[in-house]
Amino acid sequence: MISVESLGKTFRVQKRPPGLLAGVKALFHREYTTVEAARDVSFRIEDGERVGFLGPNGAGKTTTLKMLAGLLQPSAGRATVGGLEPFRRSEAFLASITLVLGQKQQLVWDLPPQETFELNRAIYGVSLADFRKTTAELVELLEIGEQIKRPTRQLSLGERMKCELACALIHRPKYLFLDEPTIGLDVNMQETIRTFIRGYNEQYGATLMLTSHYMADVTALCPRIILIDKGSIAFDGELSELMSKGRTDKRVRFSLSREVPAAELRAVGNLVEHGAAEATFEVQKDAVSALVAHALQVLPVRDLSVTDPPLEEIMRAWFAKEPSAEPAPEPA
Amino acid sequence: MRALATLKAQVRLSVTTSLQYRADFLVDAAVELFWIAAAIYPLVVVFDRTDSLGGWSFDAALIVAGIFAILQGVMEGLISPSLTGLVEQVRKGTFDFVLVKPVDSQLFVSFSKVQPWRCINALVGLGLIVRSLHRIGYVPSAYDLFATTVALTASVAFLYAFWLVAASTAFYVIRIDNITYLFSSVLDAARWPRSVFRGVMRLVFTFVIPLALMTSYPAEALLGRLDGTTLAASAAAGVLALVVSRLLWKRAVNHYASASS
Amino acid sequence: MSVRSTARSVRAMLRIGFLDAIAYRGETIVWMLSTTMPLVMFLLWSAAADGKPIGRYGAGELHASFLAAFVVRQLGGSWAAWQINMEVRDGTLGMRLLRPVNPIVHYAIEQAAHVPVRAFFSMPVALLFFALDPLIHAPKEPLLLVLFPISVLGAWALSFLMNVIVGALAFFIEQSVKLMDVYTALFFVFSGYMVPLDLFPEPVRVVLDYLPFRYQMGLSVELLTGALSPAVALRLVVQQWVMVALVTLVAHLVFRRGVRHFEAYGG
Repeated sequence: MISVESLGKTFRVQKRPPGLLAGVKALFHREYTTVEAARDVSFRIEDGERVGFLGPNGAGKTTTLKMLAGLLQPSAGRATVGGLEPFRRSEAFLASITLVLGQKQQLVWDLPPQETFELNRAIYGVSLADFRKTTAELVELLEIGEQIKRPTRQLSLGERMKCELACALIHRPKYLFLDEPTIGLDVNMQETIRTFIRGYNEQYGATLMLTSHYMADVTALCPRIILIDKGSIAFDGELSELMSKGRTDKRVRFSLSREVPAAELRAVGNLVEHGAAEATFEVQKDAVSALVAHALQVLPVRDLSVTDPPLEEIMRAWFAKEPSAEPAPEPA
Repeated sequence: MRALATLKAQVRLSVTTSLQYRADFLVDAAVELFWIAAAIYPLVVVFDRTDSLGGWSFDAALIVAGIFAILQGVMEGLISPSLTGLVEQVRKGTFDFVLVKPVDSQLFVSFSKVQPWRCINALVGLGLIVRSLHRIGYVPSAYDLFATTVALTASVAFLYAFWLVAASTAFYVIRIDNITYLFSSVLDAARWPRSVFRGVMRLVFTFVIPLALMTSYPAEALLGRLDGTTLAASAAAGVLALVVSRLLWKRAVNHYASASS
Repeated sequence: MSVRSTARSVRAMLRIGFLDAIAYRGETIVWMLSTTMPLVMFLLWSAAADGKPIGRYGAGELHASFLAAFVVRQLGGSWAAWQINMEVRDGTLGMRLLRPVNPIVHYAIEQAAHVPVRAFFSMPVALLFFALDPLIHAPKEPLLLVLFPISVLGAWALSFLMNVIVGALAFFIEQSVKLMDVYTALFFVFSGYMVPLDLFPEPVRVVLDYLPFRYQMGLSVELLTGALSPAVALRLVVQQWVMVALVTLVAHLVFRRGVRHFEAYGG
């Protein structure tokens, strides 16, 4: 279980005002401002859960993740992962977690990935039998039998990421902290990685925390979402709840048997999208049935579906809705 | 023991890595030999005009230069690549991966890039020493050799401790790419017999940065001129340097974790 | 490009280089500390002199010589080879080639902007030694003092251009930085940085007059310590600038060839 109580983190950041004079001044005297990267963050994650961290750039996702992985010392509050305090970095704690950073790599650049696997085997004290079994499984699931024998520098970004994942899981960690694991990958590769991660979670009951810029990652992987904005939690709950909480509207999409002029479509309701033989309307939840009834009368409807608006739009609306004040920088 | 297994795996990995760049080795070796020659040349010029440098003859001074070459070889091959690598890891942020592993971070980092064949200097230094001993006509006793080993080990400990502390500054200052240059140039002062240090310099290079002793003590031990008390003191100082550098390392790592983003 | 816009872009590039040097003051200081070779050599030579002069070098001359060597190294040193090497290898050089400025000029301006910052940290140290050391005297011959800044500029230009030439070899070979190490070792020995030049045997000294090393260091040191007669000083400074012109040409040619190679093979 991961338990976080009023966790906070502040950084001292050097002010670098522009200009030559200011630059010369900074030679002697540097000014600092305090930035609150996380503030009063609390949540609980049960073992085996998959949780997605969402939020704009600089919202505090990575900071929180790093505090949970023991890389950053919290300036306030308390966090435990599996009953252990991350920042102590005890062996038991470190052996139970893994950290994957999509933008950084731990594989030795000039050597085949399996050499780094071997190193991790020694570091985590994995027995040879376990190591062989785990590696075989990971290699099969990720389809990297060939790749782990080639020098890392010769691998494509996607292949490298798959090997990074395998390398991070050699010791069968119970808690997975993944920071942007699919960044820069093409859609197919993202899908492969997601499927693998979900499979690992289901097979070993591992707990998963993931940050991503790609909504698809989060919607596909995480039943539970924690929304972080300007250092604090803006939402914590199920994906479907976020969908309905963010917006009270639904989307109704009709397939039409022939093309209908846009003007005619607009007469039916709030048109958000239309194509050769289709039209999508946005409508309040309680007005869905009325709209459908009306449309069936006036339009050549062949098929229809009712969906939530895409997560991207919900997020955009969410963060536009609450332009809460900038965290005021205080002088150090 | 897991630490030992890790160490073994780590050394194996770093040796395998640097084997990828064997061509570098020849160039490195050529450059190093060139530098040794360049550094000895001033001694040749000096002794062209005088017979003794504060009591050290040309050949005795060459023994010091030989010890210096050995230390430099150890530094180039075993110490500085790993710790330069640390600076890079901190800058790139991949040091995070070291911290989340259940190993001693200092141990892990210190052996992350071992390149034993860069110790070529050490071989040249050894040759220089043998040649000079032969010319002087002194045959070191078993005790002399033992004392030399102890003094030399203490010097390596010092060197490592200094490097570790210097590399730890990477946790505070982002850009210290040229720390290698700083290091080798500070070490430069250890090329000469300690008699060249006088006045304030003598104090600084004996007690603050014991460069004067790092090369001269092993050389004196080899010539049977180092007394037991001095030897014991230098061994103790070597141990102290290791302990202090370890404490500073831990502090630096904690700072990294509380201040970085 | 008009003169005015050139002036404007030069000013902007100077400013960036200067701000860069300031922002990384730690590095600048570390760099300054790493030029301790004059001190190291000074220790050796003083011990060797031990009361009696070596050649024309008594204690006073030794003090003055190595203090001058420190000053010249601070003001006349350049480290462009490492920068060029890195930019060629990681491809950022491509960005430079897209700009309407000659890349060598661009590098020169950026590097030159570091000099004032280094001077800011190192000159107080030098002046302090000068004021406190009773053995060091200011040179008396005014012509030498006039020639000194010219020679330091020449020394800087030579260092920079040699760096460009060796750095540009990165277009063709992997290990060009190692070559810079070799060049630096030669420079240390034959420029007067480690061994005062007039302690070399006569034939070596004649050869050194036709190599760049002396003009990168020794000449300026000799001017500042008043070791040259006005006539000889003038001749040497002229020779220095002829050398600068020649090396400029070579640097230009090597760099141009390298860029063609870069464009053809993508680095």
